[in-house]
Amino acid sequence: MSRVKAEPQQPEATGMTLIVLVGLAIAFLLFMAFLNVVKSGNLLNESNLLFAALIFYAGAGALYLGFGVTGTESYVRFASLATWAGLIANTAAVAHRWYEAGHPPFASVYEMLLSFVWTLAALTLLAERKYGVKVIGTVTMPVAIVGVVLMQLLRSDVHPLVPALQSTWLHVHVTLAMLAYAACALSFALAMMFLIQDNMKTETFLAVTSASTVAIYASIVLTRFEGWGGLSLVAWNAEDKQEVFLSKGVRLFVIVPDLGWLMLLATLVVAAPLVLYGLARWKKDDSFLSIANRAVFVSILLQVMTLAMFLLRAREGAYPSLDADGLFPTTLAASPFILSGLVGGVFISLLYLLLLWRRTDLERLLPDADALDRITYKTICIAFPLLTLMIAAGAYWANQTWGSYWNWDPKETWAAITWLVYAGYLHMRVTRGWRGRRAAYFAILGFGVVMFTFFGVTYLLPGLHAYA
Amino acid sequence: MRHLAHNRVKQGIMDSGLTGSFCNVLPVATCLAENVHSLPRNRGGNMALSFIAAARKTWRTAASVKTGVILLILVVILAAVGTVILQRPITDPEEMQRAYSPQALRLLDAIGLTDVFHAWWFIGLMILVSFSIIAASVDRFPNAWRYYSRPYKYPDSSFRRALHPQKSIAINDEETGLVAAERALHSLGLSPERLVREDHFGIFAERHRISEMAVYIVHASLLLIFFGAIVDGIYGWRGELTLNEGQTSNAIELRDGKTRALPFAIRCDAAGQENYKDGTPKKWWSKLAVVENGQDVAKKEIVVNDPLVYAGVRFYQSSFGLNGKVNKLMLNAAPSGGSGPKREIGLALNDTVVLDADTTVRFAEFFPDYAIRDGQVYRKSNQMENPAVHLIVAKPSTGQNYDVWFPQLDEVADNSKAPYRFEATDLKLSHFTGLQVSHEPGQWAVWSGVVLLGIGLIFVFYVVHSRFWAVPVRDERTGQVALWIGGSANRNRDAFEQRFDQLVAAVEKEVNLISTGAPSERVASVGTR
Repeated sequence: MSRVKAEPQQPEATGMTLIVLVGLAIAFLLFMAFLNVVKSGNLLNESNLLFAALIFYAGAGALYLGFGVTGTESYVRFASLATWAGLIANTAAVAHRWYEAGHPPFASVYEMLLSFVWTLAALTLLAERKYGVKVIGTVTMPVAIVGVVLMQLLRSDVHPLVPALQSTWLHVHVTLAMLAYAACALSFALAMMFLIQDNMKTETFLAVTSASTVAIYASIVLTRFEGWGGLSLVAWNAEDKQEVFLSKGVRLFVIVPDLGWLMLLATLVVAAPLVLYGLARWKKDDSFLSIANRAVFVSILLQVMTLAMFLLRAREGAYPSLDADGLFPTTLAASPFILSGLVGGVFISLLYLLLLWRRTDLERLLPDADALDRITYKTICIAFPLLTLMIAAGAYWANQTWGSYWNWDPKETWAAITWLVYAGYLHMRVTRGWRGRRAAYFAILGFGVVMFTFFGVTYLLPGLHAYA
Repeated sequence: MRHLAHNRVKQGIMDSGLTGSFCNVLPVATCLAENVHSLPRNRGGNMALSFIAAARKTWRTAASVKTGVILLILVVILAAVGTVILQRPITDPEEMQRAYSPQALRLLDAIGLTDVFHAWWFIGLMILVSFSIIAASVDRFPNAWRYYSRPYKYPDSSFRRALHPQKSIAINDEETGLVAAERALHSLGLSPERLVREDHFGIFAERHRISEMAVYIVHASLLLIFFGAIVDGIYGWRGELTLNEGQTSNAIELRDGKTRALPFAIRCDAAGQENYKDGTPKKWWSKLAVVENGQDVAKKEIVVNDPLVYAGVRFYQSSFGLNGKVNKLMLNAAPSGGSGPKREIGLALNDTVVLDADTTVRFAEFFPDYAIRDGQVYRKSNQMENPAVHLIVAKPSTGQNYDVWFPQLDEVADNSKAPYRFEATDLKLSHFTGLQVSHEPGQWAVWSGVVLLGIGLIFVFYVVHSRFWAVPVRDERTGQVALWIGGSANRNRDAFEQRFDQLVAAVEKEVNLISTGAPSERVASVGTR
């Protein structure tokens, strides 16, 4: 009771501090960036604009997290302002790119990400204004931040369009894809919000979040752990800005010593909450859960440390390889998956802490569960026709370029799979009356498939659709 | 009567809160199916009837949404497998052998996992999916059609009790209420219909009834797309045609290694490449002509995104390169000893040109990539790596021949012995153009299906079938008359409720206007009816 009473005064004091701090940090970073710019003499170039967008998005993310820690509502308002600022900088970056390249920014993974982050921020603000889902940025801003960070690593030089891309259908196809994917991302965020509002048990979230972080670390360790605790990373040719190839399609791996041990340790520590959750369920003893929550906190500290070590070791430096003599350099750009996995893991765990600490405040700020369920459905009602048209435009274009409207290319196949998953969702919802939890799980699954289609297929599966 | 009751059931389901449009028919369909089912069972079970029952059961299983979703999950899993395992026609055999052990490869080949999308079981699955869509649509269509073709215009008392949203407005007499409702509906842009029967009267208005049929449009369009794909699978073909500049051919090399002869031939007049400043290719083009019965019947310059279409066969620019041949060699020739004038000559391979009364020069040989061994010139490869040109200068009077080589090849011949000095100024190389050729007779069904699908989806998601009813009701005990207004929409119900509130406000306004004695010819005209 006393805590509830204390709350009205508490925000005044801590509230301003964080806003001022984040504001100062933004101002400081912008000032530093400005100093750099003055030196080079080119104020409004794309990387500066993108950097500004990153700063603002990160500020928004920090404010959302600050809201999570303190429960101060004014943070959310300022976070939304920061998102607006980030969107403006992002728009300028898109426009600049468009002007420089002479075509809309859809021609490479970098340009697609640029458009995707823009659409995501725009839709976040739309959802905030139109549907009153104020804290949706808590989920979408981390996605945007990871997107912009990834962009800093990818090749960004402007390429003229290769012959196959010189078509109006490129713009139609990719615009539809970006809109559809961003709508899917939004439906994912809304489904998460729904699960919170639907009184899903906090420990279920604990199990899911730690299972996803375990999956991330386990997949890194299983695929990249080398003898004596090294971690193998792809070697990078700094001059050509691409991976080093031993032969066609075979990449050269270098081994960064000791990083493997750290990854292994991190895997064990992030697995601890999951094990404790399992124990709590098995022994039916909730005291394990409070230990599990503490373990999450520890795992976040270790994850941040792992990320920092990874950044330090992989950013620069030359390492030996098992397949060739000599030392080869590597950079972050050579391991986009590991990096986004590590950053994503930290975000997932932080989101869990947010939920653990500030659940009642979140619930107060969100629309009720029914409304969220309806908005999720509506978002998918927007996403699904866009997906359909995206696939149709792609098929028409493929027919003009490759001579067939359907080639069962991995990208095509996965786009069809995405479409089928959402079609399944719509059928179950409309005919079987699937509402609430099950519909929310379906929406989350759908977004997972979308992300795989967007990134996974490009990097993991070979095919004709090699541009992005 | 049965129809009315039936409709009422449906309205009830409609209004129980389902938002989709194919949902409102489903439970009715199942309940009807059960009714039909009970008939043969009552008459006793002989073999023929149990066979019919089994067939019915199969049909119902095929038509159920559950079956549809299970089939979709199967398609998803198999398609995903097809993207993870390397696929046969696209991947070259050596790469397949490198990726999988021989036993694994044999096993994968045997099950068809190396060509998932053409395996019999995948095609079978697609046929099952089509059948499931057809069954589901056929099973639900009659009810939906009845619902569509005979709209439920007069709500009976049980329907009126259950409907949400609804509202009752106090009125002086029935006529006032009906006229007010008509005017209010007009003001909302609807065209209300007055129902007069012996035992009841009321107002009915609706909009976008077609929305109830949208799901069938979507399913029909999917079947149309499948139909097109099947037609292409059976009657369509794909292949390649490689043409050198100037070459004419009608023999298409198909994917399976066979050759297909077209009733017309394609000639490539020229082909080329344009580059960006940084050297990456900007454009590949080929000038093609269609030759039929020895005559040019069509001509087009194709580029990567713009194919040539003739008689249903499409020719796409797919690759381009040097074919190791030469179009023309440009030379400057001048007599060796004397100070005769320089002449510029152009030679194609095997061309002979007369230089003076007693001298001719012939372009005898061309090597795109030469090598010399024991004083002989060999062709090392067909790549344009290291070209060499062999000319033969002849003097018919003496019968003597002189060899001239470019570049100067001292081990083979001495250029200076020839009576003429030659200077090679340009070597115009010949290109080939690689064309993808495809014949897809079913693609028109596919594209119409796609357009229909787009329209259908827009109807499914964004076009709302909204209905309004207004019925004057007299309370048995008090004798008070009230106007009952009700509305229903098949989706987007929160927006509809706002619209319904607008309607109620408009009706109330009209009721006030009429009862305060505002002049209205409509009242008069209706009154005389």
